[in-house]
Amino acid sequence: MASLGTLLLLATFVVCSYAAVASVVGARRGSRRLVESGTGAFYLITALMTVASAVMINAFLTDDFSIRYVAHYSDRVQPLFYKITSYWGGLDGSIMFWVFLLSIFGSLAVYTNRERHRELIPYVVAVISCVQMFFLFLMVVHKNPFATFLTGAPADGEGLTPALQNYWMVIHPPSLYTGFVGMTIPYAFGMAALITGHLDDAWLRAVRRWTMFSWLFLSFGLVLGMIWAYEELGWGGYWAWDPVENAALLPWFTATAFLHSVMVQERRSMLRVWNVTLVIVTFFLTIVGTFLTRSGVVESVHAFGEDPQLARMFSAFMMLILVFSFGMVMYRLPLLRARHELESWASREAAFMVNNWILLFCAFFVLFATMFPTLSEAVTGERLTVGPPFFNQWLPPIGLLLLFLTAIGPLLAWRKTTLSSLRDQLIFPALAAAAMAIGYVSLVGFRVWPSLVCFSLCALTTGTIVQEFWRGTNVRRGATGSDHLTALIGLVSRNKRRYGGYIAHLGIALIMFGFAGKGFEREEQVRLTPGQQTVIGDYTVRYDALKVTDDGQKQMITAHVAVFLNGQEVDRLYPARWSYRKHEDAPTTEVGIRRTLAEDFYIVLGGFEIENQAAIFQLNVNPLVNWVWLGFGVIAFGTGIGLLPETVFSFAIAKLPVPGAATTALLLLVMMMPGVRLKAEQGGENVVPIAIKPLEAELQGQIMCLCGCRAMLNDCAMQFCHSKVPQKERLHALVEEGKTRDEIVDTFVKEYGGQDVLGAPIDKGFNRLAWLFPYLVGAGSAVGMGFAAVRLSRRREQAEDAPAADPALDERLDDELRDLD
Amino acid sequence: MTHRNIKIGVTAFVLVGAFTGLLWSTLAEGTEYYKHVDEVVASPKQWEGKRLQLHGFAFDVRRKPDTLEYKFKVRNKDSVIDATYTGIVPDTFKDDAEVVLQGRLTPDGFHATGVMAKCPSKYEPTQKVG
Repeated sequence: MASLGTLLLLATFVVCSYAAVASVVGARRGSRRLVESGTGAFYLITALMTVASAVMINAFLTDDFSIRYVAHYSDRVQPLFYKITSYWGGLDGSIMFWVFLLSIFGSLAVYTNRERHRELIPYVVAVISCVQMFFLFLMVVHKNPFATFLTGAPADGEGLTPALQNYWMVIHPPSLYTGFVGMTIPYAFGMAALITGHLDDAWLRAVRRWTMFSWLFLSFGLVLGMIWAYEELGWGGYWAWDPVENAALLPWFTATAFLHSVMVQERRSMLRVWNVTLVIVTFFLTIVGTFLTRSGVVESVHAFGEDPQLARMFSAFMMLILVFSFGMVMYRLPLLRARHELESWASREAAFMVNNWILLFCAFFVLFATMFPTLSEAVTGERLTVGPPFFNQWLPPIGLLLLFLTAIGPLLAWRKTTLSSLRDQLIFPALAAAAMAIGYVSLVGFRVWPSLVCFSLCALTTGTIVQEFWRGTNVRRGATGSDHLTALIGLVSRNKRRYGGYIAHLGIALIMFGFAGKGFEREEQVRLTPGQQTVIGDYTVRYDALKVTDDGQKQMITAHVAVFLNGQEVDRLYPARWSYRKHEDAPTTEVGIRRTLAEDFYIVLGGFEIENQAAIFQLNVNPLVNWVWLGFGVIAFGTGIGLLPETVFSFAIAKLPVPGAATTALLLLVMMMPGVRLKAEQGGENVVPIAIKPLEAELQGQIMCLCGCRAMLNDCAMQFCHSKVPQKERLHALVEEGKTRDEIVDTFVKEYGGQDVLGAPIDKGFNRLAWLFPYLVGAGSAVGMGFAAVRLSRRREQAEDAPAADPALDERLDDELRDLD
Repeated sequence: MTHRNIKIGVTAFVLVGAFTGLLWSTLAEGTEYYKHVDEVVASPKQWEGKRLQLHGFAFDVRRKPDTLEYKFKVRNKDSVIDATYTGIVPDTFKDDAEVVLQGRLTPDGFHATGVMAKCPSKYEPTQKVG
């Protein structure tokens, strides 16, 4: 199987080079047949990579440890899901996964645009093929995921790193890769436009959706990474300005800038050089991000190891991209001149430009600070590092400035805004901001003033957006005479990108609201013995017991903690440490979190002393954290609206946009996770060696203690449990009588009334559902998106004149909104 | 040069100047020197009081009973420094672990405010503490 995989990669490489050469030569000679053969080869790449991926996944599923990569990232006891996700768990596989995704996206983009942008297609194929060739080259000569052991295969693998065995980690990399890889498509179209000289705005329309789609997944990936860090790393926060995190953030900044500036080009034919540059820079930064994290150039706590050879290859590739791309831009500079000049700084295009500069500054700043240790070593010979405080000093003010622009931007008209109209429109949002400020001051005073500013700006932004929706709805109601809801839906469907964008802005405001909560966070570290308690903020925490369990793959040490709020017991948390057999050096931290919209109570088992049962805890109170996840759900919803093709809208509005609803639902699932986690901890059997029959032990783990502790019989931690002992004695007696498992269960159900005595049945099933859910959602939205894309491309041809009419109508609506009082 | 270009030029100059100045001044507060134990031991006076990230291998790790106060030594190539830290340490922090300590050097040893343990294997995040 391994040689089949290697062969497939080699074949793909050959096909890639053919696709690139055939389409370019075909385009130059005007040979349609050659171009079509190149495009066909391009589709073939997707097929080949799909087979190669299937071979890889099959190797994981069949525990083929003769392949080094499989042996390194999987083992026999690994659950099925992690066996599949190990595919992208390491460097070699992640590169292969990258090519696989790129081949799919490339084929989709080429297929949907094959008629409309016929002149661009050959070069799009060539550019994407070249990028694929680079990664395939990396794999073939240096990082072959199908490499086998020269000597005999090991009997068992090393297993996936425990910290990656987390549900968020399963979906985080694919999502991030989708975002990264998706950015290649706009780049390929941009380059094709530059090469062919077809520099009207057609290529922008072709890539608009791709950029939004990639941006959505990039954002999703970032948020998932945050959730993972928050839940799995257990240090109390979700963002630490680690180089790996920063690497993913860089293209996000430039992609966000592009999403905004592209509108200026569409509307006013300005910023054309700028837009091409942003597309190039974004693509370049995705490669830089990969390079930074894979080559060991920047020291990071979670970078892949050092690899000078890989670093050299990447450097050469990056140089090539820069020289080629900007060479083309300079060559085509005469064709890229703007058709309009900026008329006034009080205009929407000016606001977009400022927004662009700020975002670009953010990207530059983060890149600078991330590279600073490497730079300083190169320049001065001293390795100087900059930590999170440096980032935290700089980026919040810039973020607040951006938030302010988010609030003001929609109020500015294209070309020129009069002061009086701006003033009129500012009244309502300003009132909202003032109300928020007064509320804040009366509650907390002027303490933590940055949060005060942030909250007010969030209110300002929300006020603007609500006002925009309100005015638009009223204008439309006046024009059509329909009711509010119909008018609102009509308004949104008439200009989905604009109103979808507003909803996304609302999400940004919510996220900033969540960030501002950091101003009130608290952290304590404490050592407790069973029965002792401690106070943090309004919470009192009592440490009850320490339990050791084992499920065959790992040993789990779980602390049982009761949380009291104002003297009332509100929750029981089970922070734990899991030591995986294969990775005993690196136990994972399983955090206990009590989530509410106002604040999270977060507890980490930092350490323990088995001899006296003492435990060391880190306690955090993190206000407003959940608003960050919620805000992302809103962004996804807004972006989903913007992504919907025109013709599907009326159909889809009845069902909610697929990606938006899906992600929102996924994030709402966050709220349910503690329940899942709880059960996951309590599975497995007790390791304390007691001489009882296996059946009895098994049933102790499946029958619930009825003292109210919600634990199984063998796991009840209550000090004065009234139920555990009699229940256990009854169980023991039944087993001694020689009853079978089912008879005993029946007896228990009968004697203790109802099924709730059984802990097990829900357990496994629900766990699995929670696991499956993201995949179903992902697959569902992918299918939906593909379907929608095909539909769109067909409809466009029929109604060729529709887009031409659209801007005029938009302008009129815009003007009407301005004139409205 | 037209009047307009001069205005734009001056504005850009002032803005860039202000940014660079701010960047430079905040950078000075935010930076830490990344040093190995032997480099620091070679000239301790030079590094006392400065914010450091000290790289070395921990050994002789001891904890004061019933507290979170750690006393240990870090070594790199035959050079050794005494160090103290109070708080939760990463699991991988034990004898012979490769660590990076954040903190300051004083005449009686290194006072760490943060401990990062290097990963035992590749692509594996360590726990951040402090």
